[in-house]
Amino acid sequence: MTASDILEPTAARRTVDAAQVDSRHKLFNRICAGVLIAFALIWLVPVLWALDTALKPNEETTKTTWLIENPTFDAFGRVLRDTDILRWFGSSLTIALITTIGTVIAASMAAYALSRMRFRYREALFWLVLAGIMIPGQVLIVPQFREMDTFNLLNTFWAVSLPQIPTAVAVFIFKQFFDGLPKELEEVARMDGAGYWRIYARIIMPLARPAVAAVAIFAFVSSWNDLLWPLLVLSNPDIMTIPVGLATVQGAFGIRYADTMASAILGAVPLVAVFLLFQRNIVEGIAGTGLKG
Amino acid sequence: MSTAETAVRPSTETRERPPKAGRAERHGRPAAAFLTPFLVLYLLFIIGPALYGLVMSFFNTSLVQSGLGSFAGFGNYAEALQNSDFWSSLWHTIWFTILTTPPLIVLAFVFALLADRASRGRWFWRLAFFMPFILPSAVVALIWIFIYTPELGLLTTGLAKIGIEAPVWLGDPNWAMPSLAITTIWWTLGFNFVLYLAGLQEIPRELYEASSIDGASQWQQIRRITVPLLGRTTTLVTVLQIIASLKVFDQMYLMTQGGPNFATRSILEYVYDEGFTNFRTGYAAAVSMLFFLVVLAVSAIWFGIVRRQEKGA
Amino acid sequence: MTSNLSRRAVLKGIAGLGVGASLAGCSAPVLSGLGTGGDAAGSLAYWNLFGGGDGVRMTQMLDTFRAANPNIDLKAVTLAWGNPYYTKLSLATLGQKPPAVAVSHLTRMKNLVAADLLEELNLEDLARFGITPDKLDRTAWENGLVEGKAYAVPLDTHPFVMFYNTDICKKAGLLDSSGQLTPLDSEDKFFDAMGRAKEASGQYGGVVAVNSDTSTPWRVFQSLYSQLGGQMLADQGRKVVIDEAKATQVLTFLQKWTADGLFPAAADYQGAIASFAEGQAGFYFQGEWEISTFQTAEMPFSMTLFPNVYGGGRYSVQADSHTLVIPKQPDRDRQRLDGSLMLIKSFLDQSKTWAEGGHVPAWVPFRDSAEYKALTPQSNYAAAAAGAAYDPEGWYSGSGSNFEIVAGSNIATVLSGQQQPDAALAQMRTQLTALADTASPI
Repeated sequence: MTASDILEPTAARRTVDAAQVDSRHKLFNRICAGVLIAFALIWLVPVLWALDTALKPNEETTKTTWLIENPTFDAFGRVLRDTDILRWFGSSLTIALITTIGTVIAASMAAYALSRMRFRYREALFWLVLAGIMIPGQVLIVPQFREMDTFNLLNTFWAVSLPQIPTAVAVFIFKQFFDGLPKELEEVARMDGAGYWRIYARIIMPLARPAVAAVAIFAFVSSWNDLLWPLLVLSNPDIMTIPVGLATVQGAFGIRYADTMASAILGAVPLVAVFLLFQRNIVEGIAGTGLKG
Repeated sequence: MSTAETAVRPSTETRERPPKAGRAERHGRPAAAFLTPFLVLYLLFIIGPALYGLVMSFFNTSLVQSGLGSFAGFGNYAEALQNSDFWSSLWHTIWFTILTTPPLIVLAFVFALLADRASRGRWFWRLAFFMPFILPSAVVALIWIFIYTPELGLLTTGLAKIGIEAPVWLGDPNWAMPSLAITTIWWTLGFNFVLYLAGLQEIPRELYEASSIDGASQWQQIRRITVPLLGRTTTLVTVLQIIASLKVFDQMYLMTQGGPNFATRSILEYVYDEGFTNFRTGYAAAVSMLFFLVVLAVSAIWFGIVRRQEKGA
Repeated sequence: MTSNLSRRAVLKGIAGLGVGASLAGCSAPVLSGLGTGGDAAGSLAYWNLFGGGDGVRMTQMLDTFRAANPNIDLKAVTLAWGNPYYTKLSLATLGQKPPAVAVSHLTRMKNLVAADLLEELNLEDLARFGITPDKLDRTAWENGLVEGKAYAVPLDTHPFVMFYNTDICKKAGLLDSSGQLTPLDSEDKFFDAMGRAKEASGQYGGVVAVNSDTSTPWRVFQSLYSQLGGQMLADQGRKVVIDEAKATQVLTFLQKWTADGLFPAAADYQGAIASFAEGQAGFYFQGEWEISTFQTAEMPFSMTLFPNVYGGGRYSVQADSHTLVIPKQPDRDRQRLDGSLMLIKSFLDQSKTWAEGGHVPAWVPFRDSAEYKALTPQSNYAAAAAGAAYDPEGWYSGSGSNFEIVAGSNIATVLSGQQQPDAALAQMRTQLTALADTASPI
């Protein structure tokens, strides 16, 4: 028995084991994929069912079947024509834009000051902002409503946006990001005579794109989907946002399932479009903030 | 050269020599300018109302009357703590949290595990599981109310085909909350899924390879490697989930209006009913404060756990 | 990078399109949302809570108004029935953007007045459009006055009534020679009729909603209790004045409905409708608005007054009225006021359409007309309007309110056999007292 004789059998055994393990792995992986596909399909069912129903004429919707005998877009047409959904879209968009732009600007400016400048009360202000994270917005709806009433801001977009702009979490996201930027950047710029505003706008912010993206997307999506607060302050159907409009205004025609599902689909379209465009940013944003914990 | 340096250095020295007050002054004004937009809105719309709400809770303030109303001392708090509606809505909220949190963590974890193994088709899992998360609650409610419709809803007819008689989902006091829980799980699982997936991808492959060479089975790998390394993520997911569940309002308001017979009314919906339907804003403010204490307690517990984890890790 | 850029270009394009479209299509609302615009002149906003069959009829009436008044831009909005409707109406009025005209139950309207959310209606203004108190149902009008001032124009009264299956009742020998039901004006006659109907139907004598519904049990109770002259609340809801003896008498009577199988002890709102529609019971008790359901089901039925078991000469039955109110407006606009009153008058003129839905019209010229009398079975129970026993006054009371929920759920426990009358009564009294003792927010 030579050394190679001894070695070769073990080598053969190892390749056999590896092959067995490999095939076991492959089978297991295939089962995993199968289970996952099944659940993913289940998860898709509600939205697909809504779409299916929306494409039926109303009379067919009482038959619970996926088959559509007379597919039609009529339900969508009726919703677009007879409800204010386009107006609600305009409201949602305006409010979300105001909120997003406001949040990004206010939070990044404040974070820049907290991160890069030294001044009296810096510690105190930092803790004040930290306290804000502890306060869930829902706790404030009653006093905030009275406040808006006093300022005569009820039934305006400002009433919805202004309380949403000062988001403490956004300040922290930006501050964390700014803290990680090298100080040399600013020193060079300051030596060239640049003031704080120039440094902030021309140097810091362009570098902060990932943080801006994360904050902007979160602000936009949460503003768009917010229900409780706009429900309280927007009672004029002309300026309601999509969630409030869908939640409040009933059709006067009794139960028309196709129309209802069509309005649901139309209400979902704007954000689904945003999602499809920004999938990666959204997911990275969540993962990033999550991991940083 | 040296004269230039000395020419430069004295001036920088003179710039640095002035006392801290001088530096603070120089930073103070631009700092104030940068802080102002955020701070003004923050004080006006967050801190201000928080204090105002606290004050209001000690008065019998009414939505339709100006001013603070008559002084009530701790009356509102006493009423809330003795009121069965308050306790039952708190219980409903906790019950909702219990019904939704474990599935939302376990299922998200399992799906993320499965998705991590599948190298291709990531966009498909993401679409399927995460898309519901970005839908507004009103859309989710409309779709699921239709699915839960007695007689012709998808669930009822589907179950009938396999011979199970479905309950009246949203109308049965015993089934209303589980129905809302099912809807919520469908709606928000994607968020946890993404978090877990990201966490899973952070785990180095070598750990798995090394352990499988040592003969570890898939199961053991999951138990010994995956779960512990995801500890941080799980804690985060759990706490975020619990706090979000405590704040639940939309599903109840949209799908059951807190019914049947207030069986699903959450604590925030109770605040809404008392403050805005019954006009009793002073009392609602007191209930809000009590709710805030509950959320604070949960956050404090989380803080403690995270601290301990970090010390241990 | 290039993909990012092109994606950004797409995004900008969409954003621009979206903003452009929304601004172009609805610049007025966006401006008003930003607080710089107002409502377009000549536009009239009207809110109501009518879905289902009533909703269809209301839409008809609105279309008639639009055809007759093309210069008025009428914007009608339907909101969900019950608390959500009233909460939204209150919030809109507080938020300075109320509708010009709104529907309100008479019982809820009182609370809106107390909360200072309604405009007082000037009798001269009403008269200019031909609306005078003598042309409106007396009971509804007078019950709607607050300290002698008018805030609402009643459109109808919708009482609790009795439906009966004509085939089953004929078989049971309960119809007289002209096909009318013999009056059930005592407890004995009531049970006798139910017993015979049960034999004829083979299942139940009558059916009424008991589960998951607090309004119906309350309405049954109130109809009988008010026939005895009983009151529930006094002093604007600050005192609970339930008459022990009368309430116990009614609850004991109700207990017997289900105890011996004359009525099913478990039936929810829809289930009760289904039972009656399928001929499982001879009698069905509910508000008159369910008339369309049974007309659509094409079953042999008719309707009449809820039985006058205790009332004797003074008939009384639970009812509420739909009224039209003008929420407090942020400014005085003569044109809008005139438009609102024109709309109200238009509804009154179209009382026939509205009455087809089962409601008893408050507009006297139509109510007393032959046309209405010919409308059967709707006109069978017209007398209910005069004997309407509205829910007691109180900030926590009114249609769909906490008062109804508390009272109704306790009464339901007696009907379902879960509790004895005295226990249920004690519980109701305790719970109502808790409500009564709470400081009123209005």
